[in-house]
Amino acid sequence: MVFNSLTFVVFFACVLALHSMPFGWTTKKVNLLVASYLFYAAWNPPFVILLWVSTVLDWYAAQKLVHAEKPSVRHFWMLLSVIANLGMLGYFKYGAFVLANFTALLSSLGVAYHPPAFDVALPVGISFYTFATMSYTLDVYLRRAKPATSFLDYALFVTFFPHLVAGPIMRPTELVPQFAEPRRATPDMLRFGLALMTLGLFQKIVLADSFLARAAEMIYDGDKIPGALDSWVATIAFSGQIFCDFAGYSTTAIGAAMCLGFAMPDNFRFPYAAIGFSDFWRRWHITLSAWLRDYLYIPLGGNRHGAARTYAALMTTMLLGGLWHGASWTFVIWGGLHGLYLAVERLLRSRFAGYRPGPSMLVVLGLMTYTLINVTWVFFRAHTFGKAWIVLGGMFGQNARAAPILPTVHLVMVTMIVGGILLAHWQMRNRTLESAVARVPATVLSGAWALMAFAIVMAQGDGHAFIYFQF
Amino acid sequence: MPSSTSSSDLAAEAEPAAEVRPGFVRLTASDRPGVAQPVPMRDIPPQPWNRIFVGAMLSAALLVAGAELYWRSYGATPSYRNSDGAWAAQRRRIDQGEGGKTVLIGSSRVLFDLQLPVWQKEAGQRPIQLALEGTSALPVLEDLADDPNFTGRLLVGVTPALFFSGRVMRGGVVKYFHREGLTQRTGQWLSSRLLEPFFAFDDPDFALATVVQRQPWPARPGAPSHIDVRKLSVSDADRNTHMWKKVEKDAEYRALARKIWTQTFAPPPPDASAPSPAEMQRIAGEQISRAAAAVTKLRARGAQVIFLRLPSAGPFLEFENRVTPRAQTWDVLLQRTGAPGIHFEDYPQLQGYTLPEWSHLAASEAERLTAALVPIVEAELRRHPVAAP
Repeated sequence: MVFNSLTFVVFFACVLALHSMPFGWTTKKVNLLVASYLFYAAWNPPFVILLWVSTVLDWYAAQKLVHAEKPSVRHFWMLLSVIANLGMLGYFKYGAFVLANFTALLSSLGVAYHPPAFDVALPVGISFYTFATMSYTLDVYLRRAKPATSFLDYALFVTFFPHLVAGPIMRPTELVPQFAEPRRATPDMLRFGLALMTLGLFQKIVLADSFLARAAEMIYDGDKIPGALDSWVATIAFSGQIFCDFAGYSTTAIGAAMCLGFAMPDNFRFPYAAIGFSDFWRRWHITLSAWLRDYLYIPLGGNRHGAARTYAALMTTMLLGGLWHGASWTFVIWGGLHGLYLAVERLLRSRFAGYRPGPSMLVVLGLMTYTLINVTWVFFRAHTFGKAWIVLGGMFGQNARAAPILPTVHLVMVTMIVGGILLAHWQMRNRTLESAVARVPATVLSGAWALMAFAIVMAQGDGHAFIYFQF
Repeated sequence: MPSSTSSSDLAAEAEPAAEVRPGFVRLTASDRPGVAQPVPMRDIPPQPWNRIFVGAMLSAALLVAGAELYWRSYGATPSYRNSDGAWAAQRRRIDQGEGGKTVLIGSSRVLFDLQLPVWQKEAGQRPIQLALEGTSALPVLEDLADDPNFTGRLLVGVTPALFFSGRVMRGGVVKYFHREGLTQRTGQWLSSRLLEPFFAFDDPDFALATVVQRQPWPARPGAPSHIDVRKLSVSDADRNTHMWKKVEKDAEYRALARKIWTQTFAPPPPDASAPSPAEMQRIAGEQISRAAAAVTKLRARGAQVIFLRLPSAGPFLEFENRVTPRAQTWDVLLQRTGAPGIHFEDYPQLQGYTLPEWSHLAASEAERLTAALVPIVEAELRRHPVAAP
């Protein structure tokens, strides 16, 4: 079930109604659990089994390792959890990719190998809930957290529908304690939660789907060679689309949880106002970058074993982070570019440790960061390297004789919307949405909310899936 | 256990948080490396949220009401969406016990020109409408050929420029039907009961982005300019569809509809990707072969198939005769498939209708044509019986 659907509106109204009934807290949690399974089963009911497997496995592994006395036994249960989770993720998400590359490798060695078709559907959100359940076992193993005392609370942590399929990637310590005591949204929480949901859906349905997606599609999915203007406009359109799509999902999820009385963490902090790439990753998909830092980069040694090991850990983390997004080498290159950017930035920071840029230089550095991020989006958006090179060629003046493709309306709309996003991010770079909202007159808020709701209705979105569902 | 609280790890290694982000009222996981993340704290901005909420909802309702009034004054009336979900709902009927019925497939001419209530009155049974605008009948023909539940009578509309070129604007709908999930079915059910019968603005032609794109933006020199097809029809719950009154009554709108078709008649200068005449002939032959294979499958289990070429007029007919001459397309199709066919040029009772934009009949004319067509179809099918399997 997607947030931007009529089905979800009815589903959420039912869940809210049930949650406000005078039932016991345990009954309410069971209601939420059943609702979350329904939410997930609406895509493909059999995949609920995978969710159960992941839930039960990590619950059991955490229970076992916390009671184990020998380090080797603790180690065994942790490894079992990691291998089982990554094995499941690997089979469903990377099986076809591995097989295709294996076949290509054999072919390059002169061995003709024709494997049977690997036609396995990708369970929606598997990358998200696998990481969530793994963090539970790993936190318990690392003694950062105690295991949950209630299986119901733990199962609800894994399955809670606002974050289930596209994050924010929750840690057990963030959510399980919230299930311990009865929670119900106050009237203001409910209204602010609904306002956040409206904002999130406005970003997704109106900005991403209605006004930005088409320009990117015409260049990235078309068969014409784009010139410089078309390539840049399509790429910045995608930069806006993916932000509005994913941040829109996160905002809607945070709002939905708030309406039910729960708090979810920020996943985006105005990322296009980033100055440098470490700053970008503190603002973009925060819960994923923090997950990769805590469970991959730091265990790989982090920055505690000299420069070479630090760079190796950094690059490994970003390459795997790229691969997490999709089973394609283009995603690996996307991650690799970010790894390279982070490494160069680290080098420059160590060389120019005393440098403090002035206000105008900060703007220049911010624009440079955004421009370089757009280069990475080319590999994220293009389905093939061929297409990526064509668009990059266009961006850097290699397709000088290309005929114009995008009509004026797309040039204007993309420039206006993405320009507006950049200005808003820059204005908000050191603030939170809430701190800004607190200073706006109530009538302006009311009007803005009404306009967003009106635009959502008028946009008549037809339930496009969120981009990150495929990850 | 690794020491993981260093402040210079991955995302946190740029600078200490306090230096770079003064004014932040909330920390995130990026500020707390290598530790168990605490329960998030979310603040509610101090505002009169009740007043804001009520004001927003009332204003939004007023804006929506204004939009509804605007589109009604433009000539729109509430009607059902010709969506993938609506098509799938009709397609599903075949697998739910109605596989022996008459099914209509083809392009927009079958959709607009054949009126189900009239057919029901003339033949005693309401057909299932599965035609898709801008789309060759072939994908649906092949889908039904592969579905053993379908054993009825199949009317296959042939719009030459679509059928013989294999153009499928909505070819994805067959895949959609086979993969349609519970959410999508529920969404279709809710939309067709709660929204579509009541709101005129709820039409893809009036969607915000479509309206914005339709404004008179200055042309970008060198960029292709193409006007998309505008709203031409109105549909009922079971996809019974007829021409929108505005096309008939509004001369300016009708002129626009015609202008849009003329883009097809005079395509831009050929480029390297445009098929040559020989290539077009090959593609047409391929379509006919696919149709023949599907018809063979259908007839093998006793299903009856009849092809139908509905009227077109004026420049549209001239264009079709030029690009897809009957002798090289329609006649070959009937000969290769062995199925009967009804071409409007062969029947006086199928000629002389009003086609406001040259391709589809006016609503009242569609009723008249349907009444005239049903006896011809019945007679043709009687003349070409299919042996029981």
